[in-house]
Amino acid sequence: MVSSRVKKINNAGYWFILPALILFSFLLILPMINAFRLSLFKWDLLGAKIWIGLKNFRNLLRDEDFLDSWGRTLYYTFLSAGILIVLSFSFALMLDSRKLKARNLFQSIYFVPVVLVTPAIAVVWKLMFQTTGVLNAIVSLFFKTSIPWLDSERIALYSIILVQVWVSVGYYMVMFIAGLQNIPEELHESAMIDGASWLRRLFAITIPLLRPTIILVLVTCIIFVFGQFPIPYVISQGGPNYATELLTLFIYKNAFKYLKVGYSSAVTVFYFLTMLLFSIIQIRIFQERER
Amino acid sequence: MASHGKTKEIITRVAHYLVVILIGLVILFPFIWMVLGSFKFNKDILDIPVKLLPPEWNFSSYRNAFASGPFGRYYLNSVVVLVAAVGLNISICTTAGYGFSKYRFKGRDLFFTIILSTLMVPIHAVIVPLFVLMKRIGLVNTYLGIILPLSLSAFGVFLMRQFFYAVPNELLEAARIDGAGEFRIFRMVGMPLSRVAVVSLIIFHSQYVWKNLIWPLVIVSGTDLRTLPVGIALFSGVFFTPYPDQLAMSVSACIPLVILYLFFSKYFIRGTALAGIKG
Repeated sequence: MVSSRVKKINNAGYWFILPALILFSFLLILPMINAFRLSLFKWDLLGAKIWIGLKNFRNLLRDEDFLDSWGRTLYYTFLSAGILIVLSFSFALMLDSRKLKARNLFQSIYFVPVVLVTPAIAVVWKLMFQTTGVLNAIVSLFFKTSIPWLDSERIALYSIILVQVWVSVGYYMVMFIAGLQNIPEELHESAMIDGASWLRRLFAITIPLLRPTIILVLVTCIIFVFGQFPIPYVISQGGPNYATELLTLFIYKNAFKYLKVGYSSAVTVFYFLTMLLFSIIQIRIFQERER
Repeated sequence: MASHGKTKEIITRVAHYLVVILIGLVILFPFIWMVLGSFKFNKDILDIPVKLLPPEWNFSSYRNAFASGPFGRYYLNSVVVLVAAVGLNISICTTAGYGFSKYRFKGRDLFFTIILSTLMVPIHAVIVPLFVLMKRIGLVNTYLGIILPLSLSAFGVFLMRQFFYAVPNELLEAARIDGAGEFRIFRMVGMPLSRVAVVSLIIFHSQYVWKNLIWPLVIVSGTDLRTLPVGIALFSGVFFTPYPDQLAMSVSACIPLVILYLFFSKYFIRGTALAGIKG
């Protein structure tokens, strides 16, 4: 009798999760599945869908613009994530120090770019990157030259990475600070009594104990940066000559400018596969270290 | 010897402060430049030599931004989308988080895994199939079409579930003995206890909705339903772009979050820190 009452109560759980389950399935899971279906058609969004099987994928693997965009996005992701992790970890170490007064104030200042509206601040960076803009004025104080931030195919991607790092570094810094504060103070104290140097403590205590945070930051960062859209969209529209055309921008242009819905769905499937590959690699690394 | 160690410590300390302050200035610089730029005249913004402070102050850029064209409308649209999407998000996340943590039922872990798996797929990745879906059900160019996808966050469900785990079951059991229904218990016992977590989630999700560019850009084709990020990204003048006006728009778009941040910076940072210690 008691168990039937408990069961009845527990069934109420279905009602609580139902709205979330419906919306998530309908708005995210269903479109994910639908991307696979749409990728098998040629479709301009207005006329009839024409079944073409795997032809989109065959074309995709021959399309240099796509392959370039994909490779560029991987390069962008790993370089940004690498810089972001090193910088945000260093900032966290710098600002979590007990010797620093007003560290809450400094943490709040470092976090400011995270709070700003990315497309709005991208407009500002675009102006600062201009030939006669303020960044070149600063550069010319030290060197007798100016940098073609957005005009050079070789440099433009790095300019975008600079903005990416500036926008996100405070976010990951706060994640690292939260992780640092979880490490018991006594560990450091007893190591100091044993005469361990700062560097030794960093590698023997801080980094090993911070491993869950490091992995989490890495995962969050890669997912986020890989899908970056507003920065290249506002600052360079993918130019000059596709030098900053990241994958999301490539998908957006193909679907909504050139109306190649089937083709861009195939790219979307590629996007999922890349994400899947990332997570498999990450799980592997995680398990490897666990042993 | 002792005094030598002391001098060394002082030097390290001063260097520490200098580096922290210098990096802080670099981080704040684009923001400061944006605010000052919005008070410059067009000719001074990209002029050589560069002028940090406006040589003459232009106080009309903000008036121009709001008076010329639909910027006020964009602002209103953004507010409508924000309120609706965040409200919906909180309702979904609190109920689901409560359901996943306080009841044992068949398929619970499976359903939770399904929702959590969408963490790997941000909205950026599904714009094409999502647009096709919205077109089919007639939600292109509607508020609802903008709001629904922006109201979801798997992280929010996760956060509320973690939070409700910490609420003792005895409290709920006591209410049950008093004869309260399940939903009433959630509302009268669960919700009031979750206030801190809900505020963190509101602030966390508001940023996401207020800043999002790609989805409103895709789902809206005219100018009527554009949100602030879209309006700013697509802004240009007829013959030339009036930069001070565009910067005034950028400042106006950032101001609500900045003011909120000044008062509630702890909540902003806590929401992020929570994202950092999940699991």
